[in-house]
Amino acid sequence: MTETMTIFSKELRDAVRGRWLVAFAVTFALVALALSLVQQQGGVGAQGFNRTTASLINLCLLLVPLLALILGASAIAGERDRGTLATLLAQPLSSTELVMGKYLGLTVAVWAAVMLGFGVAGFLVALVSPVTDLGHYLLFVMLSAALASAMLSIGVLISVVSGGRSQALALAVLTWFLLVLFYNLVAIGVVLSIASSGEMLLAGTLLNPVEAVRILAILSLEPDLQVLGPLGSYLYLEFGAVTSALILAGSVLTWTAVPLVGAVALFRRQDA
Amino acid sequence: MLSIRSAGKQYGKVRALDDVSFDLEDGRVLAVVGANGAGKSTLIKIIAGLMRFEGDVEVDGADVRRHGKAARRHIGYLAQHPAFHLDMTVQETVQFFSQLRGAEPGEARSAVLAVGLEPHATKPVGALSGGMRQRLGLAVAQLGSPSLFVLDEPGTGLDVSARLELRDFIRGQRSAGKSVLLSTHWLEDVPSTADDVLVLDQGRVVFHGPSAEFAAASTARSRLFLRLNGHTLDAIPLVADAARGEVTQTGEWISVTCLTSDKVRVLEALVAGGIGLLDFRVEEATAATAPPVMRERVPS
Repeated sequence: MTETMTIFSKELRDAVRGRWLVAFAVTFALVALALSLVQQQGGVGAQGFNRTTASLINLCLLLVPLLALILGASAIAGERDRGTLATLLAQPLSSTELVMGKYLGLTVAVWAAVMLGFGVAGFLVALVSPVTDLGHYLLFVMLSAALASAMLSIGVLISVVSGGRSQALALAVLTWFLLVLFYNLVAIGVVLSIASSGEMLLAGTLLNPVEAVRILAILSLEPDLQVLGPLGSYLYLEFGAVTSALILAGSVLTWTAVPLVGAVALFRRQDA
Repeated sequence: MLSIRSAGKQYGKVRALDDVSFDLEDGRVLAVVGANGAGKSTLIKIIAGLMRFEGDVEVDGADVRRHGKAARRHIGYLAQHPAFHLDMTVQETVQFFSQLRGAEPGEARSAVLAVGLEPHATKPVGALSGGMRQRLGLAVAQLGSPSLFVLDEPGTGLDVSARLELRDFIRGQRSAGKSVLLSTHWLEDVPSTADDVLVLDQGRVVFHGPSAEFAAASTARSRLFLRLNGHTLDAIPLVADAARGEVTQTGEWISVTCLTSDKVRVLEALVAGGIGLLDFRVEEATAATAPPVMRERVPS
């Protein structure tokens, strides 16, 4: 446990030193402010805060997976490239402790970045719009953190199976493209055109943590069938809001646990 | 202290280590000798728990495969090219590894002092020379008072003074009752540092015994290449007699392998015979050219 905490602390310190945490928060806040100002000009009035938070979740669905996948992918592959992996594994430290220490450290660092980003963004948006629904805003922060945990887990798995950092980063960006862009643009359309059975729609939702978080966020805000899309609409109509939310939360949890367990199992079988 | 039984390692079609067995007792220094690719680094990485392997390896009774963490607590490992996080300072690095190794408070500072890196304690590792990083590696290896030091080519990249310090370090650890296993391909390091020698050739043990026996059979051998001024046939018996070895001729060059201490006798014999030298070369014998007797001397 002490060894895991030592690795955990180092990851946190590296995150602060690396400045990506602050860079992410600043970028997030600036984009949020821009969104808010655009909506103010559109005259949405008292709904501004709520509308802006809805826009922020879309921003999160783009940025958080990218950040988390890249950081996760660098975790082990970066150490391997620098030659420091052997130095670490020659210490009284198990492979599991190393992976878990790195994963937990990165998770807390990304959570901090998300909260900082949402915090600054929320403050800036509150300056120009009345605060009407803080509860939803806080829920979005939690959903973003959950998405970050799942994507970090996938990133760490990519890191373990990759030969080096460059390969890991390439795989991470490819995964981001597939889960975030390709999935919505192509995959869902293909699934619907080939076989739009209930099982296929359910699988389409559960096979992508980004999609699961997107539907969860919309369900919590306003379960509008048009906004939910085909997969979300199917879930909502078939299972209702609460059961759908539980299924989706279970999917995100599975996407957090399974890749991480896989990463640990594979890493234990590798030579340093 | 260290017990290895039938250790083996396969890389694809290459058998990097094959059926290696030996023991290393407390307070002994074992030099693992062999040419490049003989399996020295593979053996060391297996002991340090960095590779999967066949056979059994125990350190202080802890099985490296099943209780790797406990085994590594007894091992101070120094890689051939120690790698650390370049953005961390020397002090931070030693502190970090001190926590990982469960060292006593204050040990980190003592380790930095012991390797003479205190003046560089606040420098980032990226600003250190190769020799200084080697010292940092040695500082980290000492943390947590391990009972076995495993050093992979520790003399690599060190200047003469640092190599002498390294010898002192090894002797100091032996005096303190700790064991040291080091790999080297420099035979001249062996007699002054090791009690025992293990010679590897293509992954197999071809000699394991006291370093004095190893030294008598292998060290202080040189191969002389001589280009003479046209009196080659006259020179051959003189050289053979002085070198107490067989002389071979290739074109205008002759070569002979002799004890290093006999090198000067060969040159003196040529001068006394009125035979001048146009050119000469000397190759020191290394593990790669260790005499064939090594290949026949493997104790049970």
